[in-house]
Amino acid sequence: MTQPVNRYCLIMLLLLIWGPGCQKDEETTRSTITVSIQHKVNQAPLALANTSYTNALGQPFTVTAFKYYLSNFTFTRADGSRVRINGQYYFVDEAVPESKKLTIANVPFGDYTGMSFTIGVDSIRNVSGAQTGALDPLSGMFWSWNSGYIMAKFEGTSKVSTAADTSLVFHVGGFKGEYNSLQTVALNTGSFKVPDNTHIALTADVATWFNTPNPISFITINKVHTPGIDGYKFSQNYSNMFTSVAVSE
Amino acid sequence: MIRKFIYIVCIFFLVWACRKSDQGGSAPVPYTLQLPDYFPATVYDMSQNPLTREGIALGRRLFYDPRLSRDSTVSCGFCHQQFAAFSHYDHPLSHGVGNNTGTRTVPGLFNLIYQKDFMWDGGVNNLEIQPLTPLTDPNEMGEDLQNVINKIQSNAQYRGMYKAAFGTTEVTTQRTFRALAQFMATMNSFESKYDSIMRKVQGVAFTTEEASGYATFQAKCASCHKEPLFTDGSFRSNGLPYNPALNDVGRMRITNSTGDYLKFKVPSLRNILRSQPYMHDGRFYDIFRVFEHYNKGVEAGANPDPLVKSGIPLSAKEQRELYFFFMTLTDMNFINNKEISEILIED
Ligand code: HEC
Ligand code: HEC
Repeated sequence: MTQPVNRYCLIMLLLLIWGPGCQKDEETTRSTITVSIQHKVNQAPLALANTSYTNALGQPFTVTAFKYYLSNFTFTRADGSRVRINGQYYFVDEAVPESKKLTIANVPFGDYTGMSFTIGVDSIRNVSGAQTGALDPLSGMFWSWNSGYIMAKFEGTSKVSTAADTSLVFHVGGFKGEYNSLQTVALNTGSFKVPDNTHIALTADVATWFNTPNPISFITINKVHTPGIDGYKFSQNYSNMFTSVAVSE
Repeated sequence: MIRKFIYIVCIFFLVWACRKSDQGGSAPVPYTLQLPDYFPATVYDMSQNPLTREGIALGRRLFYDPRLSRDSTVSCGFCHQQFAAFSHYDHPLSHGVGNNTGTRTVPGLFNLIYQKDFMWDGGVNNLEIQPLTPLTDPNEMGEDLQNVINKIQSNAQYRGMYKAAFGTTEVTTQRTFRALAQFMATMNSFESKYDSIMRKVQGVAFTTEEASGYATFQAKCASCHKEPLFTDGSFRSNGLPYNPALNDVGRMRITNSTGDYLKFKVPSLRNILRSQPYMHDGRFYDIFRVFEHYNKGVEAGANPDPLVKSGIPLSAKEQRELYFFFMTLTDMNFINNKEISEILIED
């Protein structure tokens, strides 16, 4: 009769001893990767404000703001399988140097050949209420009148813009339907090994926003501030903006 | 007995050993909503934002605090008045800081946890996100979000309330919006005479006129103004002529689809006699003007829904009876509910 009870208590005591082990183990088989992004326009480094650049049509422009979200980092193993790092969102803002260095935690040790990520914030986070951290609406990257994140923002000027103040304002967003602006970028990094190599350097070229597949003339378009076909075209263009330059220690 | 005791102690220690180590202070007190069983399932996901007494109290203070607006004159409660079921009584168009006028009328606020889309055009997709619009819209509270957060953070009373509700004194957008959502989640209206009848409360019955009105309603209105919420949550045009002065295309602005031209969210008709004027732009002051619209005013060019396309004939008698039925939708317990009433904020 008493046997089972004793056994229970023994198990309980064992669990009790083991209890403090409920705290998460230090992860020893995973590493943090840093991805640093350098913004440029054509060949030149991006400088906000007065520097003038030209688009593919030869029209001049300046850049006053350049910001975007990245999420869903995924690493491709040498055997072709993929490791997706969930739940990490990054807000990159040219005006905030630290924001151009992303820390991606919990990447398993192993041999890798490439990476991919999403430009923007996946649809689920667009419909799940008030978010925090990088997704805090304080960053000014959220449309209040038509709920959803602005995935990427370019603001600048061009003397050929027909806006009264010659501005260029391209706010790209929309997470559903035909003109879903979420873009996935896959980059070939060359092979690298975690934890030996944990630093990936990328460049992002602002000029790609206006080039292919949808050449943009600032005479015909100077403003996008709703989800829709125009924003979608920009997103197709800027899905080409990233290049992987080096992977190092 | 003793063994049982040891057993319980063991479990207790086990739980203690696995507890989160960053707990401090006393936990907020959970709050359970009492909701009627003839209502559909709620939409707002309260599991992500569990209601607590402290969270609701914080939300109530935020709701009634005019300091959240640019010039400290306009609170949420300024436009959303309890005696008008949280609409703005007698104001066709909303009225915000610096006497700025918006382009739409203030809807009543109740049963929001059953709602999927917010605003007349459904542009807002989550109750927690709703406060962002009025706080920052230049025609409403006109304030910069960072300033709102800073103002709250600099107030000692608020810091204490954030700690009580969320564990620390830190003020974030998420906490602020969630507290407001918690308070709004308690604004539920289901104690009208109609509800007593639905609940089969003894001795409560429709009068003959109310009953005829209810029958007319069920035959002619209920497919869009669906019971028991008195809306089916869909977007439709009830054939109101387009108003060029406001140039409001409704749902089409959100979807970019011409099929959604002049469609608006079907509003609930609960407490309807408390919340004039009517329609998204407050164009009708009197409920009988609404009846006349359905009777004779539906405009073919306004993309009318098939259900109203050829108008909905309503005789004078039917209109009167509908009016009496609508009286049974006024929920005085809601309108007088002290737990959601305005509070004076002095610190
Ligand atoms: C200046 C007046 C004004 C103020 C202040 C105001 N609102 Fe509103 N509210 C409105 C109007 C007008 C609408 C409808 C807007 C639309 O459809 O475009 C609305 C809509 C809403 C809705 C959606 C209701 C529905 O059924 O779709 C909610 C919820 C709401 N407000 C909550 C709030 C909260 C919370 C605050 C304070 C942070 C607030 N309001 C402040 C005028 C106001
Ligand atoms: C095709 C669907 C549909 C039918 C049928 C319908 N309505 Fe409506 N009703 C709407 C829509 C949509 C609105 C909001 C229109 C707007 O503001 O542009 C509305 C608005 C109203 C309003 C104003 C509510 C407010 O808060 O301003 C009242 C009152 C009303 N309807 C009563 C009725 C009555 C009475 C009937 C039956 C005779 C009826 N409706 C039939 C769709 C419908």
